[in-house]
Order: sequence, then structure tokens, then C-alpha cells
Amino acid sequence: MRASVWAGLVAGIVLLALSAPVFAHHSFAAEFDSSKPISLTGIVTKVEWMNPHTYFYVDVKDEATGKNQNWAAEMGSPNGLTRQGWTRQTLKVGMKVSFEGTRSKDGSFKANARNVTVDGKKLGAASSEAVTP
Amino acid sequence: MRNRWMNRFLIVAVPAMFLLAVTALAFTKQAAQGQGAAPAAQGGGRGGRGARAEVSMPTPRLSDGTVNLGRIPGEKGIWGLPYITNMGARNIVVGAPPAPASEGRGARGGGGQIGGGEGTAGGGQRGGAPSEPWVPFQPWAAAVYNYNSLNQSKYDPEGYCLPPGGPRLFATPYPAEIIQQPEHKRIVFIFEGGTHVWREIYMDGRPHPPLDTIKGQTWLGHSVGHWEGDTLVVDVVGFNEGTWLDYFGHPHTDQLHVVEKFTRPNKGTLHYEAMIDDPGAYTKPWSVAWDIPWNQGAELQEYICQENNLYLNHLKDDFGNPVIDH
Repeated sequence: MRASVWAGLVAGIVLLALSAPVFAHHSFAAEFDSSKPISLTGIVTKVEWMNPHTYFYVDVKDEATGKNQNWAAEMGSPNGLTRQGWTRQTLKVGMKVSFEGTRSKDGSFKANARNVTVDGKKLGAASSEAVTP
Repeated sequence: MRNRWMNRFLIVAVPAMFLLAVTALAFTKQAAQGQGAAPAAQGGGRGGRGARAEVSMPTPRLSDGTVNLGRIPGEKGIWGLPYITNMGARNIVVGAPPAPASEGRGARGGGGQIGGGEGTAGGGQRGGAPSEPWVPFQPWAAAVYNYNSLNQSKYDPEGYCLPPGGPRLFATPYPAEIIQQPEHKRIVFIFEGGTHVWREIYMDGRPHPPLDTIKGQTWLGHSVGHWEGDTLVVDVVGFNEGTWLDYFGHPHTDQLHVVEKFTRPNKGTLHYEAMIDDPGAYTKPWSVAWDIPWNQGAELQEYICQENNLYLNHLKDDFGNPVIDH
């Protein structure tokens, strides 16, 4: 029991280290509001594996209205993501994913993703939060 | 009383030390598994994590004894540039507080701790020029810096995919390589980040062109270098005014003259120093310095910032109008 707890802890620490945010080429603080953390789950509708930021779009069901909202989630660039274990095929349209991040200042359905859980695996999103003030 | 403090110490410090030990063990174990543990498809990205054994290895040298600032033949590796957001916090002049102990965040780690953001990361609160009395701002430069602090650097040229300015090239957290070609009397710096740029350092003894012919002409400057013992000294002039010295927004003018010093005290460390000599923006030269970790086994990747820069689509000016007219 104890061994498994410590194994989990070690895995957690390693995961944390590997998912350390990297860099956004632009001001994080100018676009996102650190006081608006979000955690969403939805179905991927589009993936833009591109520089300087990879975006994925997810349909998230609004519990109040029952309607889908299409959220845009910003991640790091392909080079940063690749170093955190991503490939171009990690996210595909139709997949169910969860992500944690920070909502944009203007209140639109846009966020900077800090980490993304795909197929039960949590991956760092090479985002810039906590790096750029 | 003493017992209570002792208890607090035991509750807080001992688990913390234990966590540190566990982390170190985990990294050691990972390092022991070898660089090849990371799938090749990752381009060697993670390969070097935890492999900081290089800091206890001697400085590599070329066959003629010159310090080797790059790879050893047959090995791979890149310099994991840290994320230095504020040169004002890296000032090494008398009167400045000590630079943060962490190396900043490496592009792919390299041992740097999280939070190399000069102690202000995440807070969004910046003190502007008044918080950096050791930086010798000209009054207008202080005003510009304050403005950039207040608007949280939203007009940062890097946000437009323009290259980093002067020492910021070594503070933008994607990796870089230094390739020495003594047979060509030159050294080439290749930067994955910034905007995928390179610099050629002329080592053939040539002087800078007459200043009036290059003033304000280039983004990265005209670089001439020479060795002073084991230190590579690079003199750079000819910068335009399109870049900032850092993410925080220290400005510079086309009078900027940078003197860079590179040393490699051991295989795992590149020590970088830059003197910022810009009488247009600062009343006297000031210097910054930091260490850059070697990421053994890793390779550069592609990064083309200009591909899909949606940030500009959302960027609005101080009057609420879009910066880019669609």
C-alpha cells in the first residue's frame, strides 16, 4: 500500500515536471484572466496543429440551456507540445477530452489550456500561464 | 515554545526534504535509463531531463584547446535557453538585488525550476521603473517601461512574431545551438525560438562597418567576436528599434551596443553575460547575466511563429480598436 502511494507520488511529481508550461510568444496577461480558471469536458470539433499556437475546439454542453458551446483552447506551439509527449495525432475530431486552463478576458468561449486529458492521459499543454505575469 | 517550533519544523520541513529527495531519486532513475528512453519521434525533446550530470563534467575543448561551446563529436545536445522575462531582475550592477536563484524555465527544462519569472509570475502586478532603481533609465525610457508594465506587455514585438532584441535572444525559452567553425573564422548561433533566427559571429578580426552605415539597419545586429582566454567576447551594434530587451518591455534605441561574454565552466553550463550600452535609453551601461543549461541528447525542432498568429486578430489598441484592420 505504502509503496503504491509513493509510486503515485513520484509519478505525480514527474508528470508535473514534464507538464511544466513553456512559453507563449505573446502576453498571457493581456489576453487571459488568471482569476478565471476553468475546467471543461467536451467533444473535439477541430484541431489546428500550428505555430505559434496550436488550437483545438470543443463542443461543451451548457448545463443551463442544454445547448453546445464551441470553445477554442489555445496551447503551445507544435515544438513545445512535441517535447511534452504530443503528436499531431494525439487529438482527433470526435474525441472526448477534458482540459484545465484560463478563460479569456473578454468573456468569449476561449481559453488558454494548461493541461489536457486525452484517453485518460494528462498532458501538459505547453501554455504560458504562471510564466508570463 | 521551542517544542512547538520544532513540531512545525518536523511537520513542514521534513516532508519537504523527503519530497525533494524523492524527486531527485525519480530524476536520477530517469537519467539512469538513458537518453534514449524518449521516443525518437520526440526529437530528443525530453531526452536530457534529469541528466544534469554534465555540470560535473569538464569544459569540452576543440583540438586546438579552444573552449567548445557546442556539441562533442558523436553526441547530441542543445542549450535549453531559460525564460528570463525581466532583464531588470538580472542586473548584475552594484545595488541590484540578487538574481533569482532558479535558472528560469528552460525551453525543455534542463533542471530549471518552475517560476523563473522573476518573482512576479502570475501576479500581474508590476512596479515599472520605480521598482528597479538600479536600472539607469533615461526619463523617457522609464515612461515607456511604465507604460509597457501597465498594459501587461500587450504590444510586445514577440507577440507580432518579430525577433527578440539583443540579449533577449538568449532569454526566449526555446533551445539554441552554438556551432564553431574555426576553419571559416566564424561562429554561428541557431535559435529555434524567437522567429527561427540565426546569427553569424565574425571571428576573422574584421571591425564593424562604419556606424553611420549600419545604425538602425538590422534586427539582430552586426556581431564580431574574439576569445579572451576561455571567454568568447562578442561585440554587437547596428540594432534597429523594433525589438524590446525583454518581455517586461525595457526599451532600447538604435544606439544600442551589446557586449556579450560566453563561458562554459563545465559541460552542462553556458554562462551568459551581456552589457547593455545604450546612451539613447540609459544613462550608463548596465549588465545582465544568467546560466543556460545543456540538454544532452536533444535536438532542435521547427518553430515558425508567423504561421497562424491569431493573437493579432484579437489585439486591440488603447482606444479599443483592432490593431490589425481586417
